[in-house]
Amino acid sequence: MIRGKIAFASGMLVALAGGWLAFPRILYQTRLQPVDFSHKVHAEKAGAKCEDCHSFRDDGTYAGIPTLDKCSGCHAAAMGTTAAEKTFIDQYVTPNREPQWLSYARQPENVYFSHVSHVKLGQVKCERCHGNEGGTGALRPYQQDPISGYSRDIWGRPVNRIGLRTEGGMKMDDCVNCHRRQGLEYSCMGCHK
Amino acid sequence: MTTTRRNLFKFVGGGAAGALLTPAPWRLITDAALWSENWPGIPRPARGEIRARFTHCTLCPAGCAVRARCVNGQPVSLAGVKPHPIGHGALCPWGIAGHHLPYHPARVRQGPVKEAVAAVARAIAQRGAGERVAVLDLRPGRTVSWTYRRAMAAIENGLYLTPGQPAYSIDLAAAKTVVSFGAPLLDGWGTPGNVFAARDHFRLIQIEPVETRTAALADMWLPIRPGTESVLAAALAGETTIAEAARVTGVEEEAVGAVQEAAQSGSAVVLAADPGSPLMSLNAKFGALGRTVVARRESPLPDAWKKAAPVAEMAAAPDGAIRVLLIDESLPGGYVPWSTIEPKLAANAIVVVFSSTSEGYARHAQYVLPAPVYPEAAEDIGPAIDTVAEVFRIAAPLVAPVVPVVKPGEFVAQMAGLPQGDPLRERADAIHKTGRGALLSYADGKSTPAKEVTADDFWKTLNQSGCWMDETGKKAAPSGLGRSVTRLTSHDELPLAVVVAEFNRGGLASPLMSKLERESNLRMAANRVVLSPADARANGIESGGRCLLETACGRMNVVATIDAGVPSGVVEVAGGPRMADLCGASRRARVVRA
Repeated sequence: MIRGKIAFASGMLVALAGGWLAFPRILYQTRLQPVDFSHKVHAEKAGAKCEDCHSFRDDGTYAGIPTLDKCSGCHAAAMGTTAAEKTFIDQYVTPNREPQWLSYARQPENVYFSHVSHVKLGQVKCERCHGNEGGTGALRPYQQDPISGYSRDIWGRPVNRIGLRTEGGMKMDDCVNCHRRQGLEYSCMGCHK
Repeated sequence: MTTTRRNLFKFVGGGAAGALLTPAPWRLITDAALWSENWPGIPRPARGEIRARFTHCTLCPAGCAVRARCVNGQPVSLAGVKPHPIGHGALCPWGIAGHHLPYHPARVRQGPVKEAVAAVARAIAQRGAGERVAVLDLRPGRTVSWTYRRAMAAIENGLYLTPGQPAYSIDLAAAKTVVSFGAPLLDGWGTPGNVFAARDHFRLIQIEPVETRTAALADMWLPIRPGTESVLAAALAGETTIAEAARVTGVEEEAVGAVQEAAQSGSAVVLAADPGSPLMSLNAKFGALGRTVVARRESPLPDAWKKAAPVAEMAAAPDGAIRVLLIDESLPGGYVPWSTIEPKLAANAIVVVFSSTSEGYARHAQYVLPAPVYPEAAEDIGPAIDTVAEVFRIAAPLVAPVVPVVKPGEFVAQMAGLPQGDPLRERADAIHKTGRGALLSYADGKSTPAKEVTADDFWKTLNQSGCWMDETGKKAAPSGLGRSVTRLTSHDELPLAVVVAEFNRGGLASPLMSKLERESNLRMAANRVVLSPADARANGIESGGRCLLETACGRMNVVATIDAGVPSGVVEVAGGPRMADLCGASRRARVVRA
């Protein structure tokens, strides 16, 4: 009898350990960003603001991650002495090769998210959804769920979503919860077009 | 300690129970659900730069301004343009799903172009004296319509035919009362944004046998006996007594009196389901001409275009005389029943249809040539029935044609030997030359007088983000609206009035529209008819039973639905070209057991 209980408990412990410790580690594929980029250096030394690089076009659309043209405007030649900048210029600016940035916050194909209506009309701060990305010294590795194909940032960092902060996830539930809290309208056709 | 099979099962059971207490199974279920949305074969737009582009919708004459969200140049979603003074940012379900049409599985993808060119050239060369070459333009009022007219003027015995185009526009903003004889005012009539912007300022009286969506949303709905509309109109015009009208139409005397009083109170407008209906003559009785019913205004033309063939309706063509008939069905528009066209054709006539669908005239033509669909072709859109101002707007293409297409305008111009050129540009230059009106830019909502921009900038703005409007002209009374409304419909041996259950624009429709509106609201099956319980009982028809829909033009096997919401004397049918061909001009039918 006691042996049976031990067997059951052992199975349970193995599953719990696997589910809570191993599963989150094996769930995501990890890839490095193409360039060792520091938001912090650009914000503090160059005095750049988010919208200087992540800008809105005249027609209201959001430009997203800046293209090489934007970077080349300042980094046509080296501005500092870091190895990261030298590598960036040698590998991308000089051969005019676009870096293949990996977007942490890319929404699925069936979602239409308007930055302009959130940032300009809703006065939502960038940090509200993206966290303190603008203050980090290096880009974190990009983690992707190979089954769904989505970035880990969409689901949120904790695999169980327990204790998720406001800016922790970008799932539909997170959008809807925020709109509910703000007393704003939300409907299917608002995002899915 | 030995491992028994029982303990092994307990270990597995414990593992299963433990797994349920971890996020793993729940997360895998979610991921599997998402994965199922990303299977290979599911189309997805390319990743790339996201830009907004502007165009105009050509799916109906409203020509609403459209803002397209494009990824890598590919439109992925369409929306209205708020600064547009006529559309007010509204876009109907057809317009919202318009960018799917180039990829529609039912689209005509190829056609015998060379054979058609040779056959037309041969037929023109060999035609006998008095035999005609004709173009049937289902969407008159466009710049390409003028190309057709010029081409038909250049060809001996050329005919330019249309399904009929009203010579008037309706100024809803100036109306305080709208008396509608079955016009689907709130369900696809005119420019949706303009109608709903004006809706708060007028009282809507809807007169029709069936409670359509417009009837349900009207301030007053008069369920009239089918086919008796002209009697009620005669009473409103004072040509018969109210008591007589009430007796014939089944509408209460008080209601007829109330409508008459409202219509005579000034600033009223009468609308009819068919814009060419004699019912429109009531507007003359009520003093609406020049006030709410005004002469249709067309934007300026190059002087060289003035030598053009006159506009004629199919009925005016001589019988058996058309040797070559070219039908432009590239855009959804009017429809002339085949029973009206067929007698006009010569025995050895060549019929060529430019179309994206095989449902319309393609069923009757020898040559069906694939035409571009919205938003593949550069087109302009003529003024809608509720557009009072002069307007010129271009539907700039958002995608290159995804199949090899034949542009009907170029085909006809080449056939007639017209000089090569860009008619849209020529017309834009002619408009700019007048110095009238203003250029509205959708990107910033600014309006600039046309005389303050260069011809090149004028053309560029029209193609990229704007339209030209001139609202300064004086309202004039339209011609052609007679003064008698007493044209009673004969009922002969076909006892049922045919009512089209839905507003059908014709042409292709995106299958994804059902995400926006209920499927049943959009599409009634083509082989369904709806009858009142009394009519069904009288003919021994059961719900779901097979029966025959018979008209003066033919018969069709259909399935009956019995609905108490349909009044006796009416048969509701689905819209579309097949039903239009079957019903012909009379719109009377009977339903019998198969």
